[in-house]
Amino acid sequence: MTDEPDQLIPTLHAVSLRIEAARRLAPPAGGAVLRSIVDATVALFGAEAASLALYDPGTDRLVFEVAAGEHGQGVVGLAIGSTEGVAGYVFSTGQPLALSDVARDARFGRETAEQTGYVPRSLIAVPLVDDHGILGVLEVLDKRDEAGFDLRDVELATVFARQATVAIRSSRIERDTASLLRAVLVAADDWTPDGRSGGGLDAIIAAEIDALDADGDDPLWALADEIALLRAADPGQLEIVRDLLAVLVQRADRGRGARGR
Amino acid sequence: MSPSLPAWSEPFSGDHRAALRRLAPFDPIDRAWAFGSGDGEGAVVAVVDSGVEGDHPAVAGCLRESVRVEVDGDDAIVVPDEPIDAVGHGTACAGIIVGLAPRATVLSIRVLGSDNRGKGLAFATGLQWAIEHGASIVNMSLSSRSESLYATLHELTDRAYFANILLVCAANNVAVASYPSLFAAVVSVAAHDVRDPDVWFYNPRPPVEFGAYGLDVDVAWKAGGRITATGNSFAAPHITGYAARIRAAHPSATPFEVKTILAATATDPG
Repeated sequence: MTDEPDQLIPTLHAVSLRIEAARRLAPPAGGAVLRSIVDATVALFGAEAASLALYDPGTDRLVFEVAAGEHGQGVVGLAIGSTEGVAGYVFSTGQPLALSDVARDARFGRETAEQTGYVPRSLIAVPLVDDHGILGVLEVLDKRDEAGFDLRDVELATVFARQATVAIRSSRIERDTASLLRAVLVAADDWTPDGRSGGGLDAIIAAEIDALDADGDDPLWALADEIALLRAADPGQLEIVRDLLAVLVQRADRGRGARGR
Repeated sequence: MSPSLPAWSEPFSGDHRAALRRLAPFDPIDRAWAFGSGDGEGAVVAVVDSGVEGDHPAVAGCLRESVRVEVDGDDAIVVPDEPIDAVGHGTACAGIIVGLAPRATVLSIRVLGSDNRGKGLAFATGLQWAIEHGASIVNMSLSSRSESLYATLHELTDRAYFANILLVCAANNVAVASYPSLFAAVVSVAAHDVRDPDVWFYNPRPPVEFGAYGLDVDVAWKAGGRITATGNSFAAPHITGYAARIRAAHPSATPFEVKTILAATATDPG
């Protein structure tokens, strides 16, 4: 890592270029990850439908983001209270729930229809959970060829949801790391040696990506590769990175003071 | 206290030994002896869950008090609550318990929280309330994965054990760490695959020592309804119901002895 403040911002700039290039070559994985989870769920259980709700801390609600299966689409976009109904219970307790013969209870059947898009015979709802907490709820509706779900299905759904949570968390970290670096650059932009302004960052990045040497052996790329590793990092590590970047920005500020601006 | 003896030796020393007793001889015991009248009269069972619907036919007349935990930042308080259940899950658990021990008394402690911190804190606060408000058995068909609450829950579990309160916990449905279901002082329960409420098994390999009816269980649900449900959540209240029968028939039995009786009267796996 370079020590001189006047080299730090260009370093961050170069890192950002690498990430931006990667982002533009492969659009953010978030949506694709969620879709692949529900598609895989339907295939894994031979289910009529599957849906996935993520927690929105801003509104304290669970929002159904994606669904698979012809009966499941009605639920997409629906937002429910984070402690309401089956999904709310699973989210707010972390406890999976498997119900069958749902339509037997008319009121519960209607409520389920409102929260899943249709009245299933049976359903499993499991938390999207990892060591850092619960992101939302995955629901599996109706096996095509069997009456209900058994204990093994509940365990399988729970294990699968844990894997899915890792994938969702990774895609969020990838997104957050890029936007974090971008924010740092914009904040420090008025100091960059050639006086570029924050507002023109997109155009600058686009122009520089065009001029990038993919096989360049500039040592800055090594740093960029380190950043790429952060895609697999957990939020705790991301906190450390954030702290380190804050230190770098402070050093840059001191450098600015020394230059008498 | 004698200055020549460490404090922990006192109960076993001199005149203090008069307060000691031996376990009853290990005569063969059966469920008729274990359960007595089998109605759970006198057992006070706390249900830490989503609330209990007081006028549901499955629990009618057994619900004595309802409270809920409110979390605000780092603070949690317990406030009186209506006898309601926003989900149905707590009513399902209470219904199973009352079905097995119809004269038991139920306390409902609603602990749903909407963020990760609130959840664990609400849960721990609810358990503490149960310990301090006369419960003899606490059913927890949910648990916390919060590492930051590990010590708090461990302390509460020990407090319950020393206060002669039996904690019955549903094991997580997969092998991840969750508390207090993995602590040694609780009765940890998972579901077996036999559709029979009278069948429970003892597993000598902890942490999950008991298997009970949890597959396609006909349970009470919200708004006076019923539903068929599967999961360890519904196995734990079966063991709680049997424990209520045992505590009613043998009021002096400690949590350790109740666990032993449950193990001794478990279904023969052969």
